[in-house]
Amino acid sequence: MDMMTSNLQQQRQINEQLRREAAIKRIAISQVVQDIIRYIQDHENEDYLLKGFSSQKANPFREKGGCEII
Amino acid sequence: MLEIKMSISENETESIELLTKEAEALKQKLEEERQKLNDVTLATVAERLEFINFLNNIKTRRHLKGHQSKVLCCDWCTDKRRIVSSSQDGKIIVWDAFSNNKEFAVSTPSTWVMACAYAPSTTHVACGGMDNKVTVYPISHEDDNVKKKTVVGTHTSFVSCCMFPNSDQQILTGSGDSTAALWDVETGQLLQSFHGHSSDVMAVDLAPSEIGNTFVSGSADKTVLVWDMRTGQYVQSFEGHLSDINSVRFHPSGDAIGTGSDDATCRLFDLRADKEVAVYSKESIIFGSNTVDFSVSGRLLFAGYNDYTINVWDTLKCVRVSLLFGHENRVSSVRVSPDGTAFASASWDTTLRIWA
Repeated sequence: MDMMTSNLQQQRQINEQLRREAAIKRIAISQVVQDIIRYIQDHENEDYLLKGFSSQKANPFREKGGCEII
Repeated sequence: MLEIKMSISENETESIELLTKEAEALKQKLEEERQKLNDVTLATVAERLEFINFLNNIKTRRHLKGHQSKVLCCDWCTDKRRIVSSSQDGKIIVWDAFSNNKEFAVSTPSTWVMACAYAPSTTHVACGGMDNKVTVYPISHEDDNVKKKTVVGTHTSFVSCCMFPNSDQQILTGSGDSTAALWDVETGQLLQSFHGHSSDVMAVDLAPSEIGNTFVSGSADKTVLVWDMRTGQYVQSFEGHLSDINSVRFHPSGDAIGTGSDDATCRLFDLRADKEVAVYSKESIIFGSNTVDFSVSGRLLFAGYNDYTINVWDTLKCVRVSLLFGHENRVSSVRVSPDGTAFASASWDTTLRIWA
C-alpha cells in the first residue's frame, strides 16, 4: 500500500517534469546557429587564444627576455 | 475494511498505468518537437566561414611543478595570474602563473581533492573530494590556516566539483551522491539541493548572466540537466552522450553548453533549440575527455583527454584545429584564464601547464 502510494507520487512527479519540459518554447536550429556565429564574430577580437596577440610583448605569459620593466 | 483498501489499491494501479502512458506520450512529443526545428546542421551553416589558422602559436609558456601526486583540478583567480590546484595527495597549492612561484600551500586532512575553486574576492579557496565535504581555507601566510578552515557542507558521497556562484557567500557543489547543492558559506546552511540525476554528478557550471539563476550539471548517468537555482527544479535535460559526462561548461554566449565524456566525444547542446547541435569527435580519438572549456569568444573548445593530449576544436566547423602534446599522463582539468589570454591544464603527471 505505502509502496504503491510512493510509486504513484514518484510517477506524478516524473509526469509533471515531462509536462514542464514539453511546454518550453523552442527555436529552430537555423536561427540559434546564426546567433551563436554572431556572438563569436562580435567577440573574436578579444579572443587572444584564437587570434593571437598583435605583438608577443602583449602576451602576459611570454617567456621572459633578458630585460624586463618591472 | 479490506475491501476498501483493495479498491484504493486498484485505483492507484489504474492511475499509475495512466500516468505511465501519459509519460510515454510526453516523451514522444518532446522528441517530435525537437526534431521539427532540426532544419540545418551547425557545420553546414559554418561552411561559409574562414578556417582558423593562427593556432600554431599556442605552446606551453609555464610548467608548474610542485605537487607530489596527480593534479585533479585547477581554477583561475579573478586577478588573471594566480591559479589554485588540488591533488590526490591532499595538497592545495596557489601559484603565481606569471612567475612560476608557489605562493601558498595547505595540506588538507583528506586525499583525492577532486575539486577546488578560487573565491571571487581572491582571499579564500574552496576544495572538496573523498572526504565528502566542501571546505574553505583562507589564503594567508600565517601558520594556522588548517585551524582557520571552515567546513561549509557535507554530502553523503565524494565532492566532485565546486564553484562560487557570483560571490564569496555561496558555494555550489556536485557529488557522487547524485545531487548538486548550494551552501551558505558563513552558516554552512544547505540553501538548496538539486535532485534529478540518477548517478554521480561530475561537473557543474553557472550561466554567464548577471542574474545567475541558472546552472548546468553533467553526470555519470549520461545526461546534462539545466537547473533553476531558486526553485531547485531542472528545466531542461539533454541526452546524447553514450557514457559518463565528466565536464560541462557554458558557452560564453550563455545559450549553449559544451560537454566532455568518457565516450571520447565532446558535444554542444543549445538551450534555445533544446537540442544537441554538434558532436566533436574523430575516429582516431578513442579515449575519454575529462574536461572542456571555451575560449572567450566561444569559437574554440579546449578539451583534455585520458590519452594525455589536449584537442582544440573549432566549435562552428566541428573540426579539430590543434592537438597539444606535453603532459605525460591524463589531463584532468583545462581552464581558460578570465581574460582569455591563456589556458591552464592540470594532469595526473603531477604538473600544470600554462598555454598561450
